[in-house]
Amino acid sequence: MNCHEAAARVYEYLDRELTPEVALEIERHLEACPACYDHFEFQRAFLELLARRGAAIRAPEELRRRVEELLHKDQARRNTAE
Amino acid sequence: MDSSADEKRRSFEAEALPHLDAVYRFARSLTRDAQRAEDLAQEAMLKAYRSWHQYRPGTNARAWLLTIVRNTFINQYRRQQHEGTSVDLGEMESYTAFPEVQERDPEGKFFDRIVDEEVLRAIEELPEEFREVVVLSDLEDLSYAEIAELLGVPVGTVKSRLFRARQALQRKLYEYAVEMGYIKARAK
Repeated sequence: MNCHEAAARVYEYLDRELTPEVALEIERHLEACPACYDHFEFQRAFLELLARRGAAIRAPEELRRRVEELLHKDQARRNTAE
Repeated sequence: MDSSADEKRRSFEAEALPHLDAVYRFARSLTRDAQRAEDLAQEAMLKAYRSWHQYRPGTNARAWLLTIVRNTFINQYRRQQHEGTSVDLGEMESYTAFPEVQERDPEGKFFDRIVDEEVLRAIEELPEEFREVVVLSDLEDLSYAEIAELLGVPVGTVKSRLFRARQALQRKLYEYAVEMGYIKARAK
């Protein structure tokens, strides 16, 4: 595997979407190629940033309260109908 | 008395409610508006509750809920908006910020200085096809196969959209970091 082929699969590799055989080929290339190794680590840092920043976005408490109230009402209505 | 309705509510609270943050995040990325996102999330959760008998236990409840969010959005919200925000996804050039930072910050430490709101804003600026795959993969951790099923597109499409979406997002965030002085632009 060359640098170009490795770079084309960087996200599939980091997302663990490759077959074990192809993932192993990538790892062999990364061991032999410091530039690609650094590039892969950079992309990993980028994806970790997205996951971390994404997790910081939470449903507002008011929404949580409204949803719970809705479920309660919906259930009460159905219980009455039964 | 313990009715089947009580049982349903308990199982919904245990398996679906913990994904409310994910439902809200996805709604937020689709509507790009906090208030509309709340309305969409609320409506989708109520729909999910009413069709909870269709959920197959043991499958990914988060993916199931996010499918309902998207269907609700398409049916009720997008109709009010103009269509045609779709871009030709094939036309976008390949990009990675790595060559720009390779010598000064190869580990991408400048990413750590970018605040939550800025990341969210950059995601919201992406075309819808890109926004969806980034949120579903990077924020909600769905597999390519799960995203493909949710969007009704082939896995190969998910793969290529995700690749381009991340490149576009990386470019935005890199440019923002340069603008803010978190990292200096490479000397020409």
